[in-house]
Amino acid sequence: MTEKILFIVFAALAVAGGIGTITRKNVVHALLVLVFVFLNVAAIFFLTQAYFLAVVQILVYAGAIMVLFVFVIMLLNLRTFEQEEQTHRRQRWIALALSILVLAEFVIVLAGITFTSARGGFTPEVISAAGGGTKVFGDALFNNMLLPFEVASVVLLVAMVGAIILVKREKTAGATTRVWEPGERPTPEALEEEV
Amino acid sequence: MGGTPADMAIPVDWYLYLSAALFIVGAAGMLIRRNLFIVLFSLELMLNAVNINLVGFSRFHENLAGQNFVLFVMAIAAAEAAVGLAIATALFRNRQTLMVDLFDRMKG
Repeated sequence: MTEKILFIVFAALAVAGGIGTITRKNVVHALLVLVFVFLNVAAIFFLTQAYFLAVVQILVYAGAIMVLFVFVIMLLNLRTFEQEEQTHRRQRWIALALSILVLAEFVIVLAGITFTSARGGFTPEVISAAGGGTKVFGDALFNNMLLPFEVASVVLLVAMVGAIILVKREKTAGATTRVWEPGERPTPEALEEEV
Repeated sequence: MGGTPADMAIPVDWYLYLSAALFIVGAAGMLIRRNLFIVLFSLELMLNAVNINLVGFSRFHENLAGQNFVLFVMAIAAAEAAVGLAIATALFRNRQTLMVDLFDRMKG
């Protein structure tokens, strides 16, 4: 019963934080609210007894990935875009209506389904008898999923090389870039001249 | 909920509802907002919704493959964040803006 109450609380906070993320004007505020969402999701992992994943969620998501975002936001020296329009003028209401429609579809479909457990055998008792969740998790990862694990490391390497190549500043002689004032919308003509 | 393990405190449906709600919030953010960073944040929200589903079903089916898969989703999310931010940096350097609807140079 306690777990159910905690789940509802964390779930409500996570969804509220998600809505907060997509409604903030300031990017840094949105980022902080997103970290809050990730912490709530980590709490839900804890409630599901996925302790290792909960810690990884905090370390990797709330720690590493979000710090990467913060670094880039600071490095780019972003002027605040708060004066500019934040939403697509033509599609925002259609998008909102479609999102609510899809959510309603999800709820209707889920309300009519009963799931049957496959009983894979890894109950909490079995896991704690086998040496704890992290040990069992590692055993499964490095036995059944060794090849995907290695492929994931290659994907990370490719992403790293790709990120370096994309950001590397190319040597351009005397190219001047126009700087727009905050709130000023670049006109199509100005964008064409830029090339 | 005839098939729920007796020791599972939270019904598996709840994970699905939460996951659906978070995913839809992310999708809505992606479709509505113009700022490239907010679009990337929405992507992270959607990936997290998928992770909640995987963990919930991993517990429900008493199978650890779901938990293992979450680790891969996180790895891909990290790779996607790195490349996405690199693209954002390059775009901002060239165009001095981050509003996605202004990046329409390739529109025919």
